[in-house]
Amino acid sequence: MSASETDASTPKFLADKYAIVGVGETAFMRGQGSGRTTRAMGTQAVRAAIEDAGLEAGDVDGMLSYSFNDSTFSPMIAGDLGIRLNFYMDVYGGGSSTEALVGIAIGVIAAGMCKTVVVFRSMNGFSQVRIGGTGARSAVPVSGDALHNRAYGWQSAGQMFAPSFMRHMHDYGTTAGQVAMVKVIHSQHAANNPKALYRKPVTVDDVLSSRMICKPLHLLDCCVETDNACAIIVTSADRARDCKHTPALIRSVVGRVCKPRIDMHYQHGPISTVAGYYGKDILWPNAGVGPEDIDITGSYDAFTFTTMLQLEDYGFCKKGEGGNYVSDGTMKLGGKRPNNTSGGHLCEGYTHGIAMVIENVRQLRHDVDDSCPVGADGHRQHTYDYSLGGCRQVRDAELTANLGWAMPGTGSAMVMRRG
Amino acid sequence: MDTHDAKKPLPRLTPDNRAFWEGCREHKILLPWCQYCDRPHWPPGPVCPYCFGDDLTWKQSSGRGVISSWVVVHKAWLPAFAADIPYNAVQVELEEGIRLTGNVVGASNKTLRVGLPVEVVFDDVTPEATLPRFKPR
Repeated sequence: MSASETDASTPKFLADKYAIVGVGETAFMRGQGSGRTTRAMGTQAVRAAIEDAGLEAGDVDGMLSYSFNDSTFSPMIAGDLGIRLNFYMDVYGGGSSTEALVGIAIGVIAAGMCKTVVVFRSMNGFSQVRIGGTGARSAVPVSGDALHNRAYGWQSAGQMFAPSFMRHMHDYGTTAGQVAMVKVIHSQHAANNPKALYRKPVTVDDVLSSRMICKPLHLLDCCVETDNACAIIVTSADRARDCKHTPALIRSVVGRVCKPRIDMHYQHGPISTVAGYYGKDILWPNAGVGPEDIDITGSYDAFTFTTMLQLEDYGFCKKGEGGNYVSDGTMKLGGKRPNNTSGGHLCEGYTHGIAMVIENVRQLRHDVDDSCPVGADGHRQHTYDYSLGGCRQVRDAELTANLGWAMPGTGSAMVMRRG
Repeated sequence: MDTHDAKKPLPRLTPDNRAFWEGCREHKILLPWCQYCDRPHWPPGPVCPYCFGDDLTWKQSSGRGVISSWVVVHKAWLPAFAADIPYNAVQVELEEGIRLTGNVVGASNKTLRVGLPVEVVFDDVTPEATLPRFKPR
């Protein structure tokens, strides 16, 4: 690469020309489940995002979604809201899709195909298609990569991702207790998030004494499957100025960056290295900032260790020091660089990464939805008292990084700046 | 892993992988091997991913390797494996450099570790299908 391509001092390509202007979601539910279709939940989340932006149905003319064939396609939800589309696309995939679809949304706006794009994910991830549980997903016909795995009983997300962590422990001496701190910290964050499903703080001992799911993963190392829909709205910075809230300007996007192979992802390269190793060389130069400049991270916590592996490979610490990074207090509220201030997938709920983007948009507005009182201007009067049940707004948040995870071999990322 | 539940999934043969699974039935690990650059690759494909060569042959692996990573499953995701828990799933790096998925048999899960030397054993799970597994060596 030339010097200008690796220069991280100025933003490239996007240069704050696009923004996320609206966010919305439905409640995170387990137990009885949502009792609603993915179509109804998606419609409600998209409506909430449009209203949040201060837009009307006629202002939105593009739509993107992602799913594992467990959801409802964009044009159905558009129709249910009276939106006539100039562009839509529904892609296959789960985690790491949000940031990638933001990049696609920017591309289609830049191409003049449409003006304002909603990205949504709607899933009854508890009551219908469970990613980690047995059921519909384990009954689908064997195909592709599964030919080489499934006959050995090696198939679920936890089973297939955990070798990365096992190897990291071997290579670097990382411990289960260190990554348990990811759950501990996220549970403390969730205590300050009224919409989080699990708001009770847990301890390292709680994690390590929970039942083993797939060694080295305990139950509390695994995220919580929920029914939920989330939506975000992407548009140009020019149009963002007419919207209700301070925009979250998009500085840099990485979309489904891969290790050399992903079909047999333990096949190629160091096992304890994940796709972020490659993603960092796109994310930071394009953003014009580095990890040291970031105020808040949203590192995908499908499992405790996925947060660690991504923070490490995106350069928030040296390779091999992730166990220390996630357990030394850096990523707590009040710490140097909080991670998943909502409580993340481990505690708030699980909607394949999009809720972590919503959280950072709200953080950049300085209006995160905690229990602080709402002032006359309609914004919360944040106390910055992070004790349990209190504030979760990060003071003066200016830059965030979302690190999305599909699997060890594939990830996405996005840097946003307060507009 | 000692018994084969009829509901357990079996490999589905395709033109790409047929030689590998037929090799297993003859108790051989066969790897696709590029005649141009003299390297094996995995999973099987029609072109060498290292040099684009398409003059490929199947060569027998020593069947020896080391565990490159491993897990022990305590909650069965596939119902057919419920009777086997806790069972292991491992990645084995063969001497030829490629990594296969499998299970270690004939050893306690407590003995599993990265770097453990293993060799292939063949499990004739049905008259049509043989699965390679591994045992410590």
